[in-house]
Parts: sequence; C-alpha cells; structure tokens
Amino acid sequence: MQYKSQAVAKPYFIAAIGLFVGQILFGLIIGLQYVIGDFLFPEIPFNVARMVHTNLLIVWLLFGFMGAAYYLVPEEAERELVSPGLAILMFWIFLVAGALTILGYLLVPYSGLAEMTGNSLLPTMGREFLEQPTITKIGIVIVALAFLFNVGMTVLKGRKTVVSLVLLIGLTGLALLFLFAFYNPDNLVKDKFYWWWVVHLWVEGVWELILGSILAFVLIKTTGVDREVIEKWLYVIIAMTLITGIIGTGHHFYWIGTPEYWQWWGSIFSALEPIPFFMMTVFAFNMVNRRRRNHPNKAAVLWALGTAVMAFLGAGVWGFLHTLSPVNYYTHGSQITAAHGHMAFYGAYVMIVLTMISYAMPMLRGREAANSNRSQVLEMWSFWLMTVSIVFITLFLTGAGILQVYLQRYSADPLPFMVVQDKIALFYWMREVAGVMFLIGLLTYIASFFVGGKEPEAVVAATEGA
Amino acid sequence: MNATDTDGQRSNEVASAYPPGDLAIWIFILAELLVFAVFFAAYAFTRMNHVELFNQYQATLNRDAALINTIALLTASYFVVRGVVAAREGDNALCARWTWAAIAMGAVFLVVKSAEYAHHFEAGINLRTNTFYMFYLSLTFFHFLHVILGMVILAAVALKAQRGGYSSADHTGVETGASYWHMVDLVWLVLFPLVYVMR
Amino acid sequence: MMTSAASKRFLRPCTWVYAALIALTCVTWLIGRLQLSGLSTALLVLALALLKGHLIGDWFMGLRAVRGLWRWAIVIWLIVPGALITLAFVLSYGN
Ligand code: HEM
Ligand code: HEM
Ligand SMILES: [Fe+2]
Repeated sequence: MQYKSQAVAKPYFIAAIGLFVGQILFGLIIGLQYVIGDFLFPEIPFNVARMVHTNLLIVWLLFGFMGAAYYLVPEEAERELVSPGLAILMFWIFLVAGALTILGYLLVPYSGLAEMTGNSLLPTMGREFLEQPTITKIGIVIVALAFLFNVGMTVLKGRKTVVSLVLLIGLTGLALLFLFAFYNPDNLVKDKFYWWWVVHLWVEGVWELILGSILAFVLIKTTGVDREVIEKWLYVIIAMTLITGIIGTGHHFYWIGTPEYWQWWGSIFSALEPIPFFMMTVFAFNMVNRRRRNHPNKAAVLWALGTAVMAFLGAGVWGFLHTLSPVNYYTHGSQITAAHGHMAFYGAYVMIVLTMISYAMPMLRGREAANSNRSQVLEMWSFWLMTVSIVFITLFLTGAGILQVYLQRYSADPLPFMVVQDKIALFYWMREVAGVMFLIGLLTYIASFFVGGKEPEAVVAATEGA
Repeated sequence: MNATDTDGQRSNEVASAYPPGDLAIWIFILAELLVFAVFFAAYAFTRMNHVELFNQYQATLNRDAALINTIALLTASYFVVRGVVAAREGDNALCARWTWAAIAMGAVFLVVKSAEYAHHFEAGINLRTNTFYMFYLSLTFFHFLHVILGMVILAAVALKAQRGGYSSADHTGVETGASYWHMVDLVWLVLFPLVYVMR
Repeated sequence: MMTSAASKRFLRPCTWVYAALIALTCVTWLIGRLQLSGLSTALLVLALALLKGHLIGDWFMGLRAVRGLWRWAIVIWLIVPGALITLAFVLSYGN
C-alpha cells in the first residue's frame, strides 16, 4: 500500500463480503421456496426474500466498487485521497441506510413500508431492483455525490491516467443513470422504458467501464506490462461497449409497447455486445502471457482471468442466446433469463470485485504484496467452488428454461405456467444443491482470510526472481 | 530524402505486418465494419420478404443527392490521402490544408444529407412509416453520425498539424485519422448502391 | 516542396484510383437514375461497389503494402456481406 488513505477501502470490502453472505442465504431461501412453496411462510414471503436477494447483490457490489475506487484512485493519482474522513462517514451512512432498508423489507409489509416512508409524495417504489424506499434512494444519491466528489477531486488534483479517468466516467455514469430511478411515469410503457435505462445501461454500459478499468489496474500491477499497451486496449473496449450497449438497450423494448423498429435496432446492436466482452478475455490472457514479472499474488491473477472468461460466457454467450427478437419472443422472462442473469452478474461484477479484493486486501492488511501460500491455496479453492457452482446453477436454469419455453410456449398444445413449473421441479432441486455448494465456496473464501496469517508471504520461486 | 525514403519503403515497398496508423483504430474499424455488415445483411434479407414495398419506396429517394454525396466522400478521401503524403514528407502546413479540405467535403455531405432528411420529414416520414424507411433512416443516420465523428477526428489531426505536431518520422496520428475516414467512405460505397440503387 | 520518389509512387496511382472511383460512381448513379432492375443489373451494381471498396482498402488505406491477415481485412469484409446480399437478391428473384 503506497498511500495511507487507501486504507479506507478496507471497511468497504469487509462490508461487501458480509452482505454477499446475506445475499446467498436469501438466494438459498428463494431457491427452496421454488420447490417447497410454503417454506418460511408467512414469515418471509418469496417476493420479499427475492427483493432482499437482489438488493443485497446490488448494494454489496456498490460497496465493492467504492472500495475498489478508494484503493485504486490514490495509487493512480499518486496522492492521498482528498478526504479519507468523508469516505469513512459515507461508509457508515451507506451501511446503516442499507441495513435499515433490508430490515424494513423483512419486518414491515411492503405496502406498509411505502406508507411509512412517504412513498406517495414521490412514488418510486415497487419496481424490480429499484424497490428501495424513496428516502433510501435519496440517501444513495447523497452518498454517491460525496463519493464522486472525493474520488473526482483526487483524480483532478493528481496524476490523470486513462485507468482512473475511465473509472471516473463509469462511476459518474452510474450515479447519473440512477436518477432515472426517480422517474416513475404512470404510463406503464414509459415506466418500463426508463427502468431499463437504469438496469440495462448500468450493466451493459457504465458498469462495463468500471469493470474494464479495475481489470486494467490489476493487470498493470500484476503483470508489469506497459501501461500504454493496456490503455490502448481499454480505449477500444470502452468504445465498443458504448457503441453496442447504448442502442443495444433495444433488446428490452421488443414487447413492451414500443415501436417496432426497436426489434431491429435492439437485435442488431445487442448481437454485437459480446464483442467487448470477448476483447476483454483476449486482453486479459494476452497481458498475462506477456507479463514482465511473476507477481506472488497468484490468486489475484486467477480471479482476473476468471472474470474475463466468465463475463464473456455469462454476458456474451448467454446474453446472445436470447437477444435476437425472434428468439426472445419465446424466451422472454423465462428461466433462460434467470440463467443469464446469474452467470453474467457473477462473472462480470461479482468476480471483478473479488479480483480487486484479492489483489488489495493483503496490502490493506499490512502485507508486502501477497498472502501466505496456504491462504492463497484456500482462496483458489473457493474460486473454483463458487465458479463451478454458478456454472451449474446456470446450466440447470438453462435446462429448466428450455423445457419451460417448449412446454409452455412452443409445443403444439401449450401447458399452463404452474403445470410446467411442476414438471421442471427437478431442475430447481438441482439448482438448490448447486447453491449450497456455492455457499460452501463462499465460506471457504472467508476462511482463506483467517488461515496462514502467521506464515511468511508467498514469494515467487527464486529461479524466476531478479 | 533519406528519411522519406525509409518511410516510403515502410508504406510502399517492404510489406509491413500492420496497416498504417495505430493498431487500436484498426480494431475499432473492424468492429464498426462488423456492425454495418450485419445491418446490410439484415436489410437485404428483410427486403427479400417485402420486395414490392422496398422497390416502391426506394423510388422516392433522391439519387442525385446521393451522387453528390458519394463524390463528396470520395473527394474527401482523396484529400485525406494527400494529407497523409504531405505528413510523410514532413510538411505540416500542407497536411493541415488538405485535411481541412477533406473536412469541408465532409460538411458538404452533411448539408446535402440534411436536406434529404428535411424533405422526408416534411413528407411526414419517420421510422414507423414502413420497414423500408425504417432501414433507410436507421442506416443512413447511423452512417451520418460516423461522418461527424470522422470529421471530428480529422479536425484533431488538422489542428495538430497546424501546430507542427507531425514529422516525416512520426505521423502515425495522421494515418490513424485517415484510416478511420476511409472506413466511413468505404461503408457509404456499399450503402449507396444497396439502398438507393439495387432493386 | 519536392515530393520524394516514394511518395510519388504512392500518390500517382491514388490519383488514378480516385478518377476510377468517380467514374464507377457515375455508372452506378446512371443505373439508379434509369431505375434499371433485374437480377443481373443489381448484381452488377453490387460488384461495382465491392470493386470500389477494394480500391479504397488497397490504395487509400494502404493495405496493398501490408502482409498477412491485415492485408485481407477489407477484402474479407467486402466478400462476406457481399455474398449475403447476393444470396438475398438471388432468392428474392427466385420467387
Ligand atoms: C455483465 C453484463 C450483464 C449483466 C449483469 C446482465 C444481467 C441481466 C439481468 C439481471 C437480466 C434480467 C433482467 C430482468 O428482467 O429482471 C438480463 C436480461 C437480459 N439480458 Fe443481460 N446482462 C448482461 C449482459 C448482457 C448482454 C451482453 C446481452 C446480449 C448480448 C444481454 C442480453 C439480455 C437480454 C436479451 C435480456 C432480456 C431477457 C428477457 O427478455 O427476459 N445481457 N440481463
Ligand atoms: C453470486 C451469486 C448470485 C448472483 C450474482 C445472483 C443474482 C441474481 C439476480 C440478478 C437475480 C434476478 C434475476 C432475474 O431478474 O431474472 C436473482 C434471482 C434469483 N436468484 Fe440469485 N444470484 C446468486 C446466487 C444465487 C443462489 C446461490 C441461489 C440459490 C440457489 C439463487 C437463487 C435465486 C432465485 C431463486 C432467484 C429468483 C428467480 C425468479 O424470480 O424466478 N441465487 N439472482
Ligand atoms: Fe440488456
């Protein structure tokens, strides 16, 4: 760690991991409710648990992005953070607001929560991923502004690199697009239309910039490849992301009442969205192959490569699968969508946050560059456990989805929704088993922070040195 | 003479493994070309199912305007070539002049194309009018945006040349901008016959 | 300013290419003006377009002087959509 203020990243990372555990526990709950309908009823209904699962995911990823930015920006700008105190204050505000919101979901019926928080003054609740009470949303905006100020001023006052500028553009875009969460028109078509401006333009737009810049940072640090080369890749990747991703939003406008030309625009542009993800994969492997040094933190390199591969599979391949309008006509809102949502979110955003944590945490905990060998071996086990589990979750959901689409929408005499759900229950059971394996992987991951702490740091074998 | 000869060799005699300009722009060019290729194929295959409709409304397009525009883009490309040659010779002022001339031709394109659009919009035509106009407007407008971007890139090159920023040893920037511009031209060369002429 | 021999060797053919491009464009325009139709005319127009594209790639973009895969980048780009467009037109005339 080169700058003292980078230390503020640590609480953000710890909170992220803590909320991650919560997210997975609720995932297991809803996974079980899929097959045992009255499990935990009436204490925790499916809709509430699902909301907790997805909101925790978003919130912990945001914690992860902020932590990553607080660690990355001082090092890139070659100066201390403008205000470490503000960063810590915002950490607590965000954590408390997040916790209160989750408690609100769990303890009060949703409509009651809406009433309590004065939703009628500025109605914004009730839409997937954006379920937070309006006051929480306002809190998120305040935290985001303070965060952007802190990080932005640090960049502006210090050395400006492509990596930190791309990160800053991504984070600013994240905050600006969130403002559409406050726009909630009565017209249902418009509501859906702008809802996607948040959801789609996040994950297939500005978040990809964040992903690209963090990946570039970790690769610069661990491979020692010339910054110039890496920056060039970054330019091309973000240009492609924006060209394809912005109009690619159209792949959500096929059947919501928007004009027909969206079927063309959406299909053509989103069909090309896998390209930047593919470039990222080529980029990551290329850089590691051309590495000038062997960084002792092998786990971080593994996470970085894993991110590139899994993001391509989850977003690129599984996204392409159902993105052309004639295909989406059948698959829209089926388990195919859920399969893709899981692998893409895990492969791109969960993994990039874990990559950054893996790289930064040893330094944040006072080590030179890496954890002990024993700790890294355990971390790599957790990598494989979680990654293989998510692959299985995806495959089972894809299987469920194909059957669902066929039985319910494609076959000569289509069956009703619930009848089909009964027929594919086996896949849901298998998904639940894979989910348990995922939890074991996550616990292994956490354990890796506590083993081998007293042992010497991993070093690169002597023959490779000097 | 010596410096230019080495350089001339690089671009004319001894084959290089990489195209002129920054490799990043070439990757970008390929990606852009791919988008247009998909769009062209989509046009052709959709037309297959609506041949009459496409033929009927294609007749309403202004081919004379398209001719002027094709000539404008080709001329711009030729000017860009001259700008590159000037830069290779280390003549910044000349490079800037040719590049500005190319930008002016780009402006001609924008004006003519805007007039065409104005004409269509007056007639109440929009993306929802029919499938032919949907494709015509989408394709040409997407290309229109590329012309603008190409002009912006060329302007950056021209300004740098005016400041004396290139030399016969270092003029990759000029070639980078030139390559992008030629791509814009190239796309139009297929778009024009496909949308305005082939029936 | 004196132009070096190497530059002349590059520029002179480019000027001819430019003249050819303008001439071919006029042919295409004329066909369009007369609203000629028919499969062979359509394919002729397409072939002219691909030829023009090839000239741009080879000369203006300078790919003639490049070896390996990049040499063929534009050619491949012309052939693939060209083939798809040809296929679509052949099929549409087949009906
Ligand atoms: C990391 C990037 C991505 C993430 C995190 C992601 C995540 C998601 C999620 C969560 C949904 C479900 C939204 C909902 O209805 O609640 C979704 C839907 C969808 N995604 Fe992605 N996605 C990513 C990239 C892509 C890409 C690159 C493509 C296309 C190539 C794509 C195509 C689609 C399509 C077509 C749908 C709509 C499915 C439907 O109609 O039900 N996604 N995505
Ligand atoms: C890091 C890992 C995970 C990520 C990134 C993740 C992400 C998501 C996302 C984005 C959605 C919304 C999908 C959509 O709208 O289509 C979702 C829903 C869901 N997730 Fe997860 N999840 C993860 C782990 C799990 C686990 C381990 C399980 C359980 C075994 C699980 C079970 C579910 C269920 C049952 C739903 C609801 C699907 C529905 O409404 O039909 N998730 N998850
Ligand atoms: Fe999307």
